[in-house]
Amino acid sequence: MDWLEDELRRALARQESPDGFADRVLARSGRGSSGARRWLAAAAMVVVAAGAGGAWRQHEGNEAKQEVMLAMRLASAPVHRIQSEVRGMTQ
Amino acid sequence: MKSLLIACLAALPLLAAPQQFHLNLDSVAAKASDHVEVSLNASTLQFAAKFLDSSDPDEAKVKKLIVGIEGIYVRHFEFKSAGAWSEADLEPIRAQLRGPEWSKIVGFASSEDGENAEIWLRTVDKKPAGVAIIATEAKEVTVVNIAGSIDLESLAELGGHFGVPKVNPPDKPHKDE
Repeated sequence: MDWLEDELRRALARQESPDGFADRVLARSGRGSSGARRWLAAAAMVVVAAGAGGAWRQHEGNEAKQEVMLAMRLASAPVHRIQSEVRGMTQ
Repeated sequence: MKSLLIACLAALPLLAAPQQFHLNLDSVAAKASDHVEVSLNASTLQFAAKFLDSSDPDEAKVKKLIVGIEGIYVRHFEFKSAGAWSEADLEPIRAQLRGPEWSKIVGFASSEDGENAEIWLRTVDKKPAGVAIIATEAKEVTVVNIAGSIDLESLAELGGHFGVPKVNPPDKPHKDE
């Protein structure tokens, strides 16, 4: 069994990592998580911008609608008055 | 003549055009206690139409009515006392409506309450192209220019639905002229 013990000891023996290995791993892992964070931030910004744009469009649309309704109220009142007068004359 | 007047109030297919006369009413504005200015061009009208609720009776009518309108320009003035404004203040408007393209199609004047209203039609190449409305009372003046196609009969009906207009000026007037 000596040969087996020798093989196991050799296989499981502690080996030093190459120079700079730890730094390279840390650098890579750091770069990966930073990129993911950037993507998440960008996605969040797009969602927020889309939401804000939609809300602003809704606000502008409602303002425009109110102005149209006001214009129509002011324009229609005298036309209705004239129509009533003319119909009154003809009846 | 009367039937002609009614016929004039019937559907008028008007052609497209931008604001058709200058609403130069500075002298009226100077005397008014309140005034409303609305200037909406075709793109603003189309944009607003998307937000008009078809399930609301008034909004549904307006939505249908503004199809074909290329612009609507309204100036409405209110005065604290009768006689604050004079006919001379409206002369800049009337001078423009004396042009060959404009003709007065209907109007009425009430000596009892001093109420006046008139509708002018603009024709270009023998085709209706716009409407001007001048309405005055002792303490109110309203001048309207509608460019494009509008059914005056429907507009009159809308006035009946709305009743006496309540003026709620927007925060700031739209300037799309």
